[in-house]
Amino acid sequence: MSDDPYARLGVGRDASADDIKRAYRKLARKLHPDLNPGDKTAEERFKQISAAHDLLSDAEKRARFDRGEIDASGQERPTQRRWRDHAGSARDSYASDSGFADFADDDDVLSEFFSRGGRRAGMRVKGHDLAGELRIDFLEAVNGTTRRLGLPDGAVDVVVPPGSADGQVLRLRGKGAPGWGGGPPGDLLVTLSVAPHPRFTREGDDILLDLPVSIPEAVLGGKVEVPTPAGAVMLSVPPGSNAGSRLRVRGRGVPRADGSRGDLYATLALVLPEQPDAALEDFLRGWAGRGYDPRKGRG
Amino acid sequence: MPRRTIFLQAGLGEARLEAWVAEGWIGRDTAPDEAELARIALIQALTEELGVNEAGVDVALGLLDQLHGLRRALRQMQAELDRLPPPLRTALIEAARRGD
Repeated sequence: MSDDPYARLGVGRDASADDIKRAYRKLARKLHPDLNPGDKTAEERFKQISAAHDLLSDAEKRARFDRGEIDASGQERPTQRRWRDHAGSARDSYASDSGFADFADDDDVLSEFFSRGGRRAGMRVKGHDLAGELRIDFLEAVNGTTRRLGLPDGAVDVVVPPGSADGQVLRLRGKGAPGWGGGPPGDLLVTLSVAPHPRFTREGDDILLDLPVSIPEAVLGGKVEVPTPAGAVMLSVPPGSNAGSRLRVRGRGVPRADGSRGDLYATLALVLPEQPDAALEDFLRGWAGRGYDPRKGRG
Repeated sequence: MPRRTIFLQAGLGEARLEAWVAEGWIGRDTAPDEAELARIALIQALTEELGVNEAGVDVALGLLDQLHGLRRALRQMQAELDRLPPPLRTALIEAARRGD
């Protein structure tokens, strides 16, 4: 900026006192340091226009300057008190949070800072969560188990609750990365990967299996042993049970969180003796009912 | 020294002192310290030097007080951010650059 006070205020040499005052005020409203709290150069720029105004607003000084008797130097004011040097301090009771009160919800990290009067509690940050995978077999998932999971820095015992399912995520509170600033540690999120079982399959809380039965068991009925995840039970097969019949074993399925259990469904599979049986063949050749056609009427 | 004396020394007449207190521009019970004198100097500059009228001072002070409240909150947040572990800080800065 030029040293010329007229140029600093942006007025001509023939400007009236009112012109000078108006020009100065317009600039000062922009450049006053207290109206530019974050701008360190505002003080210097404001000093320059203030000095120009001080010189040109004094008729005698202006005349001497115009005649070349004095220059523009020596007009600087002493350093002023500035509100911006005090405003916003912890003791400033005028500073208001109303301009950003809408930022701060109670559960918002920012709300720690956006509270008037500056509660200066250190920021507490929860540690981040870690992820892991645990492979377990079918019965471990159904019956529950405890397994040790290796982590980069140590191991953790993972309690798999009864009735867990493939893809389920277990949250182990506080087993994640350590917190910061006194904040709590994060959680460990363990995804379960459940291997299939050779005989059981699962449908929600129910367990399905194929139950082989002999011809006499199917025709005459009888008690047969059925495996369940919690051990074998005896099941009554009613007389005349067909292959493919589904028999329910109540309460022998997957444990639920409320303590109840799903059911087990056994689908009967009719199985002939492994070796050809001459007596059975003879019997069937003489069996009056052998003319029954189960496909009749199916088109 | 009594509060009133200090304010009067700052060139603030009694009538204006009362008027400014009534406007809420300065506090009735605020300690008469450098900060308070600086605030008075600002109001004087606005009214006398910059030709801002009463309504304009009201608007300017309201906005300035909000601005300083925000600057204070930002400074506090910055101080806490500076204490973050370097990887977390870096992640925050990168997220800010991406505009997340």
